[in-house]
Amino acid sequence: MQVVIAEDNVLLAGGLELLLTAKGFQICAVTGDAPGLLAAIDEHRPDVTIVDVRLPPTFRDEGIRAALEARRRHDGLPVLVLSQYVEREYAGELLSDGRGGIGYLLKDRIGRVGEFVNAVRRVAAGGTAMDPEVIAQLLVRRVDDPISTLTPREHQVLALMAEGHDNTAIGERLAITHNAVHKHIGNIFAKLDLSPDDRGHRRVLAVLTYLNRNQSQ
Amino acid sequence: MRGRWAASLRGSAYLLSALPSAVLVLPLSGLASWHRRRAGRLLGVPAPAVRQGEGSWWRRLKTDPATRREALWPLVHLAIALPVGLLTLVCLGNIPVALTLMTLWWAIPGHTPPNLLGDIPVDGWDVALTVAPAQVLGLTAFALWFVPPMARAHARACLAMLSPTSAERLAERVEVLTRTREEAVGAHGAELRRIERDLHDGVQARLVAVTMRLGLARESLADGPDGAAELVGEAHDGVEEAMAELRGVIRTIYPPILADRGLSGAMSALAARSAVPVDLRVGDLGPLPAAVETVAYFVVTEALTNTAKHGRATRAEVCLDRSGDQLNVEIRDDGIGGADEQRGTGIAGLRRRVLALDGTVQLTSPVGGPTTIRVELPCRS
Repeated sequence: MQVVIAEDNVLLAGGLELLLTAKGFQICAVTGDAPGLLAAIDEHRPDVTIVDVRLPPTFRDEGIRAALEARRRHDGLPVLVLSQYVEREYAGELLSDGRGGIGYLLKDRIGRVGEFVNAVRRVAAGGTAMDPEVIAQLLVRRVDDPISTLTPREHQVLALMAEGHDNTAIGERLAITHNAVHKHIGNIFAKLDLSPDDRGHRRVLAVLTYLNRNQSQ
Repeated sequence: MRGRWAASLRGSAYLLSALPSAVLVLPLSGLASWHRRRAGRLLGVPAPAVRQGEGSWWRRLKTDPATRREALWPLVHLAIALPVGLLTLVCLGNIPVALTLMTLWWAIPGHTPPNLLGDIPVDGWDVALTVAPAQVLGLTAFALWFVPPMARAHARACLAMLSPTSAERLAERVEVLTRTREEAVGAHGAELRRIERDLHDGVQARLVAVTMRLGLARESLADGPDGAAELVGEAHDGVEEAMAELRGVIRTIYPPILADRGLSGAMSALAARSAVPVDLRVGDLGPLPAAVETVAYFVVTEALTNTAKHGRATRAEVCLDRSGDQLNVEIRDDGIGGADEQRGTGIAGLRRRVLALDGTVQLTSPVGGPTTIRVELPCRS
């Protein structure tokens, strides 16, 4: 699997390269800024791109802009955005095109190598990987919100689903059976008035779109 | 002409009511502020705010020029108000006299004929119909054209004497600035100490614990990998906690979203995260100093947190706009009100931060709601 990395911090870029190479990824290019990233994508057509939010010259949100630009140019190119902090505002922007193949994680998560590699693969396959902190921000309970009608267990299931996990992973994490997961999801979809037909990545996107819209009222 | 009548009426009332106080000269501060108020009203200017000095009246008399001027004012007042007040009294009083004598001079009982102003006896119709109407006209003209300027002259003299001089105003401004600057320096120091403590007690302590575990793991690797795995796992958890804590500390120093997106971007992020739905209105803010942006951000954060925690509100409204060199921030909610600055530290801390930038905070929160916080921050950039 081919990867392009945009990370201006040499230490982190080196670490990512080392880690991903060890896990069998092929690193095509490591660049330190947004124009370099767009050029590298044009040249290598990677399976997935990993981008830091803060890049030169201003070290603000260049990474987010570059990711959105790359996805515009290359029709939903899978991008995993990494950051020292997460804002649901940025998540909303990354999700705004309503397509999969998008991830937004804290840099802290790289340390959990197995999970991180899973997230990279999931994004490359058109899925999503949203940081638990982003989801927590999206799931702030509001007075008049259908989300406040969910049971604590349903809340947990919804959070994991929104992070991008499939039913099997959700079941493993909560130590419940596949059937129980299935039942919770059915209830959640009924309470939130979402279409139960959506499956897989489409289902996650439906949930994220719901949370995103629900919050920006 | 109607305006002139009104002005004459106002001027007369002003001068006549000045008369008794000119006689009863009492060096009271209350009297001085009464004079200031009515002089301001007559001239259509706000009565000057005068800061009450500290200490007893006698002590202030020795040290404070404003108090000395106030003490001197009754004499000046006496010198001006007595003649002009009497003049007005004579003028206004003689208009009805002349009017009455003009027609009813013959009906006044007594051995000597009644007198007009200037001791002119009215002893026949010739005087009654010439001198009396002339006096009515003359006195009315005086009341119309001379009383208002006299009243204004007195009021101007009053304000000139009882307002702070520009030097005093400047001195007061310097005093306020010195105080807020001291508070700003103090707040800055307190903030540095807080950051130091947060890093020392939190992140640093966690990293020490991690280092100890890694050290132990390293030693036990020699004996076999089993014990080491658990220690390395714990160390890993510890580092993650340290990172989360560090993120929290950074957020309290300078929120990253503020650095990335500026104040209006940070506001929409805040509004989106708020547990109470927020109507956000942000005007054209232009470039703002980072210190002002940070304080405005924390004001809104604190206000929304309070709203969600205590206010039982279903909606909040956040408005930011800039008028010239001032940033206005207003947060309203439809909650139960009753916010008490004395009880919580949140609003007090907020006020300190705003005062440090020479801004102002207004909190209105009657029991039963709604709560409004209005903050004005000077932002000369």
